[in-house]
Amino acid sequence: MIDYLYDGTFEGVLTCVYHHYYTEEAAGISVKGEYQPSLLHDCMYVETDGAKASRVYEAIEKKINSYALKTVYRAYLSNDPHKEMKILRYLVLGFRNPYAAGHNRSDPAVFDMETLVKKVGFEKERMLEFVRFEAIKGDRADEGDDNDGGAGEMLYAEVEPDNDVLELIGDHFSDRFKNNPFIIRDLGRNKALIAYEGHWYISEGLPENLNPVRTEDEISYQRLWQTYFDHIAIKERVNPRCQRNFMPARYWKHLTEMNRK
Amino acid sequence: MEEVLMQKLQILADSAKYDVSCSSSGADRNNKGRMGNAHAAGICHSWGADGRCISLLKVLFTNKCEYNCEYCVNRRSNDFPRASFEPDELARLTIEFYKRNYIEGLFLSSAVEVSPDYTAERILKCLKLLRYKYGFAGYIHAKIIPGVSPEIIHQTGLVADRLSVNIEMPTSKSLAAFAPQKKPKQIFAPMKQITNTLIETRALKGPGTMFKGEKLNSMDKLVWPAKGNPGALVDPGSTARKGSFAAAGQTTQMIVGAGDETDFSILTTSENLYRTFKMKRVYYSAYIPIVDSPILPDRNTAPPLAREHRIYQADWLLRFYGFNVGELLGGKNQNLDPDVDPKVMWALRNLDNFPIEINRATYEELMRIPGIGHISAKRIIRQRIFRAVKFEDLQKMGVVVKRARYFVLCCGRYNGNKRFEPETIRNSMLQMENGLQLSLFDNKWMRLEEGERLEKLATSGVI
Ligand code: SF4
Repeated sequence: MIDYLYDGTFEGVLTCVYHHYYTEEAAGISVKGEYQPSLLHDCMYVETDGAKASRVYEAIEKKINSYALKTVYRAYLSNDPHKEMKILRYLVLGFRNPYAAGHNRSDPAVFDMETLVKKVGFEKERMLEFVRFEAIKGDRADEGDDNDGGAGEMLYAEVEPDNDVLELIGDHFSDRFKNNPFIIRDLGRNKALIAYEGHWYISEGLPENLNPVRTEDEISYQRLWQTYFDHIAIKERVNPRCQRNFMPARYWKHLTEMNRK
Repeated sequence: MEEVLMQKLQILADSAKYDVSCSSSGADRNNKGRMGNAHAAGICHSWGADGRCISLLKVLFTNKCEYNCEYCVNRRSNDFPRASFEPDELARLTIEFYKRNYIEGLFLSSAVEVSPDYTAERILKCLKLLRYKYGFAGYIHAKIIPGVSPEIIHQTGLVADRLSVNIEMPTSKSLAAFAPQKKPKQIFAPMKQITNTLIETRALKGPGTMFKGEKLNSMDKLVWPAKGNPGALVDPGSTARKGSFAAAGQTTQMIVGAGDETDFSILTTSENLYRTFKMKRVYYSAYIPIVDSPILPDRNTAPPLAREHRIYQADWLLRFYGFNVGELLGGKNQNLDPDVDPKVMWALRNLDNFPIEINRATYEELMRIPGIGHISAKRIIRQRIFRAVKFEDLQKMGVVVKRARYFVLCCGRYNGNKRFEPETIRNSMLQMENGLQLSLFDNKWMRLEEGERLEKLATSGVI
């Protein structure tokens, strides 16, 4: 048995799964840099290998099913410290008994995965609700002869989700904003969702020439929203517990209405 | 501009938040455990300090009202801060909020400034700017003011996803008493027009089911406009909305507890609205006294929320369970029973239909048993193909056993009370719920305090 270390990518996890079968059974799988050396096992850094990863990828799809593939990927996006081993256990079960992987919730390997997937899905939904955009000046202000508001303006949001859900919200927002460019930046992971003309991609950090500066009336709209928010509540029925239930405090930092500067 | 707009927004949001006024909607009320999503546009973006979901920008276009409806804060004789939006101002505000992901759309109603047509035209202008100049494809619910001309209603329907005309009061008598400037004809004419246009454009969908001869599950068929026509900022002019008229249908709403109507007359009106106008929903709103008036309950009266809740339950029975009002109420039974839900009330009055053998009942019969809903009814039917349903199975099928047990037989066995008579069953149910065989409510639907109840118990000789 051996502890595998990898680079944190999805392909990396799949490569480790490959080595579990063809090199040596895994005792643990961790991202390099987060690894706590153990006395029981040796460790080995696994170089991410596209060919090995895609063999595992295809095996999951063919031998189990595409639902399992989706499950594994969503679980990979979670922030659970043991997600890699949970994925491995789930796949080991699935390769042996594809039916069980899909249906047997009483098996801990399946249950663990479903829990992770549910958490990730839940936070994705929250992001659809809670992302707050600001209008910033675009970097090409010289194209400013569009009609209202379009001139060199761009939407920009900062988020800090627990799980890595950025790419899961790309379709929703690019559908919502169609051709308008927008950026959603995950501060904790230093990555960004960048959308332009209906297409989107994930980038490391921010584009170099981007320096988010709010447009002149951005603060006005934020204040208007806060005002509306304060006035729509019925004072006789204040219920902070209910409010907190739906809007957990850890998201308040990036909610315009909850975080007053 | 900011300060002026800020003030307007304060005033017009304040005016819109109470249920009793032109603003009232019901559309974004907290979902009391009913099926489906109560939020008009699906996504809640925030929750106010009162714990209510904020999904739409809900404001009045103006609160400078010419009318003097007795129950309303905005009525003419009330001394109150007043404001009106400019069409472009509100359109711009909506799109800016939408872009920032604060809201899913706009819920716009209004007081009557100058005249119904004057106000409606300004609203229409605002909505058109929003759709065509700013390319807004999110959700719009517009209230129609009674007395607006048909052409404006039609135009408004072409830019809005949902239209509603408030019926306000359950009877024309109380409409005359409380909202003298609003005439029944001015309310029913637009309702009829909207229904007819929906039929013509074949856009009439969704619940009200029992009244269309449709089958139950039609709540699943609810089509939110946001789905087929995803909220998006589209280039002006290219919006794919051509020809779609209020695709999310028509709703209305009435106030409960302002006048002295019985539940029977309220629900009869609803039933007629469902039949006649194929309404998607009728919303009920417990009267919150926010104004002083000699003909209304005084300011300290608590809103009859319990009554509102029972009425919603009865409405549910009408729309999805195949009941009609005449079965539930009538004769000396003019009001719902505050202590038990309407289905239990009905079952107790018709005890000769019970107990029903679970393993032989038809789907329709199952649906009439208290504690069984459409999901559990379907499960029972599916399961008994393989083997008989036993009493122990009921819970697993989602049946509310503490209610259903009194009304069913499982394989010929009865698991309820020894004595099969209405009072005994009612008392055991009350005892389950509140530990005492005594009503929790007084005759005005107000919840009794612990002390009052004990006193009542003492005088009735129980203790
Ligand atoms: S018409 Fe009546 S209900 Fe509507 S705002 Fe005016 S006074 Fe209020």
